Amino acid sequence: MLQTRGIELKNLVKVFKKKKKDEVRAVDGVSFRIAEGELFGLLGPNGAGKTTLIKCLSTLLIPDDGTAIVGGCDVNADPLGVRRKLGVLTGGERSLYWKLTPVENLNYFAALYGVPRSETKERIHYLLELMDLFDKKHERVERLSSGMKQKLSIARTLVHDPPILLIDEPTLGLDPYFARFIRTFIKTELHEQLKKTILLTTHYMDEADELCERIAFMYNGKIKALDTPHLLKKRMPQEQVLEVKCVGDIDDQAFSSMHEYGTLNLSKQDGFTYVRMSTENPEDLLSGVVEIVRDRARVLSVSVTSPTLEDVFVHLTGASLKDDTTQQ
Amino acid sequence: MKRVIHYLRAINAENMKEWRIELKYKPDFFRQFFAPFVYLLPYFLYGVALLGGRFSEHLQSITGVADMIAYTFIGYLIMGFLNTACWAMGWSLRKEQWYGTLDTVFAAPVPRWVYVAGMAFHSTLHQGLIMVFQAVIISVFFAIAFKTTGIGVVLVIVALMVVGLYGLGVLIAGLTIGLKQWWVISEALNTLMVVVTPIAYPLAVLPVFIRKISLVLPTTYGVMGVRHLLLGEQIGYDLTTILFRLAVILIVWVTIGMGVFMMMDRYGRKKGFVSLY
Repeated sequence: MLQTRGIELKNLVKVFKKKKKDEVRAVDGVSFRIAEGELFGLLGPNGAGKTTLIKCLSTLLIPDDGTAIVGGCDVNADPLGVRRKLGVLTGGERSLYWKLTPVENLNYFAALYGVPRSETKERIHYLLELMDLFDKKHERVERLSSGMKQKLSIARTLVHDPPILLIDEPTLGLDPYFARFIRTFIKTELHEQLKKTILLTTHYMDEADELCERIAFMYNGKIKALDTPHLLKKRMPQEQVLEVKCVGDIDDQAFSSMHEYGTLNLSKQDGFTYVRMSTENPEDLLSGVVEIVRDRARVLSVSVTSPTLEDVFVHLTGASLKDDTTQQ
Repeated sequence: MKRVIHYLRAINAENMKEWRIELKYKPDFFRQFFAPFVYLLPYFLYGVALLGGRFSEHLQSITGVADMIAYTFIGYLIMGFLNTACWAMGWSLRKEQWYGTLDTVFAAPVPRWVYVAGMAFHSTLHQGLIMVFQAVIISVFFAIAFKTTGIGVVLVIVALMVVGLYGLGVLIAGLTIGLKQWWVISEALNTLMVVVTPIAYPLAVLPVFIRKISLVLPTTYGVMGVRHLLLGEQIGYDLTTILFRLAVILIVWVTIGMGVFMMMDRYGRKKGFVSLY
């Protein structure tokens, strides 16, 4: 097993004890293998255990049970070996020193991460060019936009040219322009050009769908499903989804009479409520669903679409990726 | 060897980073040079009011030094190093958490004590610079004539004391991993050590049982050795004994400090304290 150059987990467990008998199994028997050069996604809502898993892999936490091998090194037996092979992007823009400039930040992390002094200047120049930050190299980080800070965080992650990257929620809180830049960068530069092994966590289904070769659904500390995005979507028993976009508050109780006809997914995003009903015959449900929504909210649009990863996630876990609303 | 160079470079990078951040806050940086001087003045004036001048026959009879201001000032400088160990090093991890950079720093391929050592190195340079600046100002202002013949030994004594205090600093840094209100311990240790160390008085005035505690502190030998060499204080120990005891204390304190730090680091990673920090 130590031969793997990617990542391999076997029955990994991390438990947080709150009180004497009250414990949270943040990572609960997780096993999977990420091949060298693979872009692997871990998709789950907030609190699913994704960040805890990343912290176990980056040796910030010690697992309670199981094994984790990163680049051929065991996280328990050889944490320094693991950290030499890892670039960890976590904490977003706060993972930088805001009073320092990009060059000062990268110089510091280059020394900390063991980049030879003779290569540091050239490496920093390359990374600033790569992230389109060269013109900002002497600006204090606090004066950069959130998107630029995130780009600099990525440069910081790459400063020692690690073969394996752990990327935790890379586009969280970014505007669409920077989110698009970062997604494209991960896909084309890090994955296709530089051939990095990447474990990416996100709760954005589009991001996972667009970027990842394989995706694991994580919920309540467990892996609920693991496959390619295409094959995950094939797991839906229904092939179509009726979607109603509206403004107003709706709870799943309103749809209690409809549960037998398909999987309901209620979610909120950008101030809108989305009612998605996975079903084999959306036309049959159209009037009933719209009527229920109309009683409680203002309908903006109605459409029939293919199942998304979110629909599959709801189908498999009964939970939404976007918020805490309940599903059936 | 490659690894040692990496660690030394990381320690220096930490030091340079701290200088750069400090220099971004220029008014606060320069305040640090003058503020301690201002803090000290009331105590000098208090002493002058009590004695009717800066010289004391009683102080001379028990220490061999009559100049109260020179005597107290040496202790005050040593106290600066103690504060550095308790606060700057102990504060280091918490400060990173406030910046938001702790996880990133802890994910670097260096042992975590390297980071604290970098902070210690910076703190020593910082405190040393302030100490020299204040020594010059106070010497000129109060016309204190320090002996300069033993300055080399003074530097050795200060170096041994400071490294011994690193043990305390790294111990406190370790405790901060598991304790939210770490400053309570830091404050308590700092205050106790200031009282138990003969900062502004000779060892002889301390009660016997406190004197025993005093003799396991690096600051006690630091202050006695430096005062002996710069002012001619009669301390009841020869320099060889002072240097030997400082070396032993250094080994013991650093070993205990590192042990506690590594234990707390592991404990914190097991319990998730660093993430929750």
